[in-house]
Amino acid sequence: MIINFEQFTLGNGLRVIFHKEPSTPMAVVNVLYDVGARDENENKTGFAHLFEHLMFGGSINIGDFDSPLQEAGGQSNAFTSNDITNYYNILPAHNIDTALWLESDRMLSLAFTPKSLEVQRQVVIEEFKQRYLNQPYGDAWLQLRPLAYRKHPYRWATIGKKIQHIKDASMDDVRTFFKKYYHPANAILCIVGNFELETIKQKVDYYFGDIPAQKKSTRKIAKEPKQKKFRSKRIIRNVPTDAFYYAFAMGSRLDPQYYLADLLSDHIGNEKTGILYSELKIKKKLVNEIGAYITGSIDNGLLIITGKLNPRINFEHLDGALWDVLEKYTSRPITQPALKELKLKMQTAKAFQDQGLLNRAMNLSYFELLSKANMINEESTNYMRIQALDLHHFAKGILRKNNCSLLQIQAKR
Amino acid sequence: MIRQIQYHKPINRSIAPAIQSIDKINFIAPEKIILQNGVCLFWKSGIQNQTSKIELHFEAGSSIDDPLTAGLCAGLLINGSSTKNAKQIQKALDSVGSYYDVSLNQDTAVVTIYALNNQLLKAYRIFHEHLFDAIFPQKEIDNLVQERKQKFKLQEQKVSFLAQRLFQQKLMDQSSYGRLIEFEDYKRANRDKIRAYHSQYFLNGLHKVFLIGDIKQIELNDLIGLLNAYKQSTLQRENFTWKAQKGVQHLVKKDAVQSALRIGRPLFNKTHPDFIAFSILNTILGDYFGSRLMSNIREDKGFTYGIGSHILENRQFGYLVIGSEVGINNREATISEIQIEFKRLQNQLVGKEELDLVKNFLLGQLLKSADGPYAMLDLYANVEVHDLDLNFYEKYIAEIKSIKPEKLRELAIEYLNWQDMLIISAG
Repeated sequence: MIINFEQFTLGNGLRVIFHKEPSTPMAVVNVLYDVGARDENENKTGFAHLFEHLMFGGSINIGDFDSPLQEAGGQSNAFTSNDITNYYNILPAHNIDTALWLESDRMLSLAFTPKSLEVQRQVVIEEFKQRYLNQPYGDAWLQLRPLAYRKHPYRWATIGKKIQHIKDASMDDVRTFFKKYYHPANAILCIVGNFELETIKQKVDYYFGDIPAQKKSTRKIAKEPKQKKFRSKRIIRNVPTDAFYYAFAMGSRLDPQYYLADLLSDHIGNEKTGILYSELKIKKKLVNEIGAYITGSIDNGLLIITGKLNPRINFEHLDGALWDVLEKYTSRPITQPALKELKLKMQTAKAFQDQGLLNRAMNLSYFELLSKANMINEESTNYMRIQALDLHHFAKGILRKNNCSLLQIQAKR
Repeated sequence: MIRQIQYHKPINRSIAPAIQSIDKINFIAPEKIILQNGVCLFWKSGIQNQTSKIELHFEAGSSIDDPLTAGLCAGLLINGSSTKNAKQIQKALDSVGSYYDVSLNQDTAVVTIYALNNQLLKAYRIFHEHLFDAIFPQKEIDNLVQERKQKFKLQEQKVSFLAQRLFQQKLMDQSSYGRLIEFEDYKRANRDKIRAYHSQYFLNGLHKVFLIGDIKQIELNDLIGLLNAYKQSTLQRENFTWKAQKGVQHLVKKDAVQSALRIGRPLFNKTHPDFIAFSILNTILGDYFGSRLMSNIREDKGFTYGIGSHILENRQFGYLVIGSEVGINNREATISEIQIEFKRLQNQLVGKEELDLVKNFLLGQLLKSADGPYAMLDLYANVEVHDLDLNFYEKYIAEIKSIKPEKLRELAIEYLNWQDMLIISAG
């Protein structure tokens, strides 16, 4: 399925994508800001995410973001990653003006109330506890990131390195952050719904056109040096089972090898059919669960093999067996039928993903940020043209010990 | 008459754009095909893309017989037949690019297969062949038991899991719905029982089928032929009666930095005359981002990352549950704020502004829930399960539009009494 869209840019630099979907009574208004945790100062981490919370605390002319949107029959939410901050609104199409009015006002300026900052600091601290501290293995990524990254700001998670950083956030920090990242040239607006292009142009110009232009700041991020040596760390936690995370350094999202990494992680990591599952769980009975995936970040990412040990199996057993399996895997290329299957599954997944309006809006925005929105229509080809030998060479290159960082979480006994 | 928005510059940002409320939503029922075995197949076509999905609903849920056997049987349905092992069956499903999923709730086990529409029949055939020929190899049972035991140990570390379990046990006390799997139960996993369960509740327990996708007529005929191999479920359940416990109970979990809360009471499902009105009240209380509980406990006090109030339903009954995870030191304060919000709803009428907002919000959410064939089929399934039809949503719209604050206060007085609540915390 081809996703058709139109694009235009306002005088102040705001990039706009419009995708017409005649079959829906709803509209999606998605605003992506080109700022994530990788843009944070290492002594003030967790800030991009805290800021996302503040964006719902009222803007310069509007006391509260959510109420007018709910009154228009809509709902909104947002997420922050290490790369981006993405806000989305879904509402009945005939009320789309409400979403544009709200999003444009908070792009213009926030209300910056001390109460909002104080409360959201508390909320984010509770989020930190709920998701990272009060869950078994919840802090795995807080530990794994600084092991796998030495220079790049991916070495901290979006929630931040520690609660203290969130506690320390000041109103001055908030204002500076807004000024630097929240302006038209640093944003991509995507609208999906049953509208005419001219209507959208008129509306977008009306609500966003007079927001002052500002120059997009250039990003100066330390490049992660190529990993040369195996790294490992073992921590002890109050968890029921020993867990392991093998993180292999891979390229960036725009590296053509991204697609190879994605297929490779599926091939080795699939439940039941993947080599990790069949060798280490079924045949050798070392693990209770095992899988593989990629992080898919914009800058250099990670291919992760993760799982949990069976009772009475120790990390050394698993480690030896895992490297044997990987060596066996990289010694010969994938068979043609297996490659065909992987591609067909990828096609199915992609067809289901493209079906959702919100997914389409988010993906169009994200691809536009990466390079161009039309990547959404080129993804399939990028997977389909992969050959068995490409995958073989790539696997040999990446699944090496000196390209790997290992975190082991040992259960307290 | 709808006021047109005038796009005259400069924009006055302090004035909200005019909004229109929703008057009508098109609800479209799927095609209903009654199979020879009596099972209803609901089919939605006209999808405009290549995706397709089949959902088989079996009356094989966790509360029907033994929850341990139900869970293991559902998890092992296609993990070995007389011709193929688990891996080979999965390989076959992979070869047509399909995804397989099975989920279990209190009433039903649902098998879902996703595929491109030209592959769906092939994928279903693979499932069908190995389901009917399932042999439940002992080593697959051992493997799954081992997996589930470790998952259980993991879950036990979570305060939300501990609170939820205790809540369910006490609320649905002395009924099969309150009977949960304990860790020790895994010892009694039994192959014969699993095989008997498979035969009784799956092969002879098909309840409904939902199909979505542009499938060729000839393929549909083949599919129907296959589905006729099942026997329709004839399960007769005893009428459920409440013996719910009330009052406060706290479960201590050492080293926890947050407490999980579950507060609720017995209620009803969509078949009850108060359901729609109460669900409006529940939305105001805690079922949207601007709700009273969210505004007070998250957005004013910062006690939690999230708090919500929900009506959970199954075939026979429904119940109210408020859930949250809060800092240990704020547990008591949160509970007393929830109590204050109950009292406010009982003592003061909901204001017009808030009620109008919630009405519009609910209608907008309903429009969204009816958007697109997948959403529409789910919406249909949600009423069909209670032997209701799409007319329910017309009533829902009419009741939202006409509800009065006095009615909401009446409901709060009737259903939101603190002394009727079961109050569980863990952490």
